[in-house]
Amino acid sequence: MTGTGTRTKERTGSIDWVAMVSRYGVLLALAGCLIFFSSQEDKFRTYDNFQTTLESTAPLLMMALGLTVVLVMGDFDLSVAGMVAVASAVVIATVVRTDIPWGFAILLALLVAVIIGAINGTLVAYVGTPSFITTLASGVMLSGVELAVTGPGTTFISGGTEVPRSYRNLGIGEPFLEIKSPVWIALGLTIVLWLLLSKTEVGRFMYAIGGNPEAARLSGIPVKFLRASGFVVVAVCALSAGIVSSARTGSHVRNVGGSLLLPAFAAAFLGATLSKRGQFNVIGTVIGAIFLQVVESGLTFMGYDQDVKNITKGGILIAAMLLGRLGARKR
Amino acid sequence: MTTTAGDPPFFELRNITKAYPGVLAVDDVTLSIEAGSIVGLVGKNGAGKSTVIKVMAGAIRQDAGQLLLDGEHLDLHHPHQATEARLAFVHQDLYDVADLSVAENVMLGLGFPKKWGAFVDWSELYRRASDEIRRLEVEIDPRVAIGELSVAEQRLVMIARGLAQDARLLVLDEPTASLTDDEIEHLFRAIRRLRDDGITVVYVSHRLEEIFEITDRVVVMRNGSVVADEPTSAIDRRQLISHITGHERAETAIERRRSHNIGGRPDAPVLLEVVDITADTGVHGCTFDLREGEILGIAGLVGTGRTELVRAIFGADRLTGGTIKVRGEEVDIRSPEQAMKAGLALMPEDRKTQGNVMDFSVRQNVTLASLDKHRIRPRLAAPSAASEKAETARMIERLAIATPDDRQLVRLLSGGNQQKVVIGKWLSQGSDILIFDEPTHGVDVDGKDEIYDIMQELADQGKGVIFISSEFSEMVGVCQRILAIRDGRIMGELEGDEINEEAVVELCYTDDGLRATAGTA
Repeated sequence: MTGTGTRTKERTGSIDWVAMVSRYGVLLALAGCLIFFSSQEDKFRTYDNFQTTLESTAPLLMMALGLTVVLVMGDFDLSVAGMVAVASAVVIATVVRTDIPWGFAILLALLVAVIIGAINGTLVAYVGTPSFITTLASGVMLSGVELAVTGPGTTFISGGTEVPRSYRNLGIGEPFLEIKSPVWIALGLTIVLWLLLSKTEVGRFMYAIGGNPEAARLSGIPVKFLRASGFVVVAVCALSAGIVSSARTGSHVRNVGGSLLLPAFAAAFLGATLSKRGQFNVIGTVIGAIFLQVVESGLTFMGYDQDVKNITKGGILIAAMLLGRLGARKR
Repeated sequence: MTTTAGDPPFFELRNITKAYPGVLAVDDVTLSIEAGSIVGLVGKNGAGKSTVIKVMAGAIRQDAGQLLLDGEHLDLHHPHQATEARLAFVHQDLYDVADLSVAENVMLGLGFPKKWGAFVDWSELYRRASDEIRRLEVEIDPRVAIGELSVAEQRLVMIARGLAQDARLLVLDEPTASLTDDEIEHLFRAIRRLRDDGITVVYVSHRLEEIFEITDRVVVMRNGSVVADEPTSAIDRRQLISHITGHERAETAIERRRSHNIGGRPDAPVLLEVVDITADTGVHGCTFDLREGEILGIAGLVGTGRTELVRAIFGADRLTGGTIKVRGEEVDIRSPEQAMKAGLALMPEDRKTQGNVMDFSVRQNVTLASLDKHRIRPRLAAPSAASEKAETARMIERLAIATPDDRQLVRLLSGGNQQKVVIGKWLSQGSDILIFDEPTHGVDVDGKDEIYDIMQELADQGKGVIFISSEFSEMVGVCQRILAIRDGRIMGELEGDEINEEAVVELCYTDDGLRATAGTA
């Protein structure tokens, strides 16, 4: 028998800065941004802005939460933006063009969302097509569906007075306990999905599937069913994002959600760097989403345009990935 | 073939030693190979044959010892240097590029003939490849894609590739795997002709019949050492088998276990009945049963259907025919979930890719298959950390898992302890029929003994245990009954007094008309 070789000694005594930064980099960066923007712009420091930032985070966060569930199982869902748009279009078109009450319009959109999610899930989990390309394709189809619902040549369904106040309250209603409804809805989704992923058997199974799908299957876990269900969760989250967006503006804007696709993924990936094992997780996703929104609104306050914002946000994501790699090498 | 005094042998290995973490794969091997002979190299899986060949090929570097070619020191740091020294290796997996033509495969990496300095001279390429293939007395069109050829033809092409390197030494690793008798005869004629042309051949095989038929000399390896090196004509089959199996280190323990098990339990109720099951993965009509309190061995070489058989029973692969009964009742098993409901457990052969979630903690892995037993409240599907912790502590103690605590990632444990975590998961799950597929692979002597004890304990509790292993000696020690499987079919059964290692080897290796698909060396 031979020895197993020398083992690298743990450094003790001094703080391991690389590990610290790679683990908490996103939190440090968030704190840094808050301090920086507050020092630059007085209006940034206000309670109103705090409120607004949280509200604007809501649709992004909802999408990111759904994505977190599929990412945990090792799948991608690029159709989430298309789903947001279809949900928004279906609800607004139904309310504006028919006499159907908005509650039923939401149920109709929910039905559409569940069907789309189930189709994505069936293709990926049961048929075995790669999730990346499958959802890219279904995303393209969804943008077609959105166009069909909106009507050719139009980029906008104006709500006007047809959209009842009660529906718009989902986006801009009077705050309850100082917090507006989009934030409440996002908080509700956060809690539900946090419980699901962190506290239930199903959540454990989902992480096991992400870790080793074959070992999970051989342990009796219904791998295909859970992977397929993940896509339905994404669809329901996208629906909430679509509803909140359309309720805030009282109208449907073409391709709403499209600009949030990459930030939603970025939020989930930023969040993963906050976990010890680099796993996707709900709390991390929430922090990632807030961070991205703070950067967005901070740069807006400072008067920067989309060019600077995009370059900054892309750079942040790459930096976070680099930090994550550093952490992984340490592990 | 005879060497006059002072004339160095063609190829020599001197005191070659190679260790991997935890195992001495090759231990001080000295071997000399004469020019123009066919030397058989035999031994069980893990005996060190592959390592010796990899050292000769420059694929791995020996820790100590040296290679000599024509009496001159040969220092190999890279496979390319072995090719330059005109040593050719034909591995049992076909390393060909299916979409490329036969000619391209033959000449791959040897430098294609060029026209005008840059363009491939295709007609010259085809001509050269054809010449090499004709030396094997076959006609294969060098223009067709190699993927369109039969396995036998592909193998001949790979040998032609060795010849194209102008090889003086040709090492063939299991060259007859998946060939028919006629194809083997043809291959043998080709090999003999190469020998008559002065090429030296090292022939690795598990098939003893072939060793006797084709080789001039046979070298037997066991536990990393050469234990026999004799002219093939001077040895008989029985002697060869005893050299291959040898006397295991744990022989006394095996003997003690053997005597414990000699009785068997013929009166115990039947737990599992498998009738004529078939699967596309290579299981062709297997029938057997398993009794309560029994340890049933399934012996066979790697890749001959033993793992495929148990995977099909467990619902990991799709069954295409046959029935499975548990305690007399027919069960429908189409997934591991259903198998578990029927009371089956499978500890798969590869703990890293199939057994564990490597980035889960010990605790999360141990409870993964029985999480519903650890709920906060019976109807609330949320795991209780306290209950999981208690169960994991129980398993860590029972299986002596060496881990700092139950939150340690399984990735960070040693191989033997990772294996114990898999076992812990299924003990914790509590099925009555437990299938252990190669549970002792890569586990040290003490760990192996602990695993035997666990299987024994389970059997003593009245559970049924199925034990698959490539180490026949341990099966002889532990099992009350052993089935031999070959080519996806059960070839025979040994019980009680009939069980000994020679008998198992005989059943698994003999080719009485049926050609087994030999395993990896």
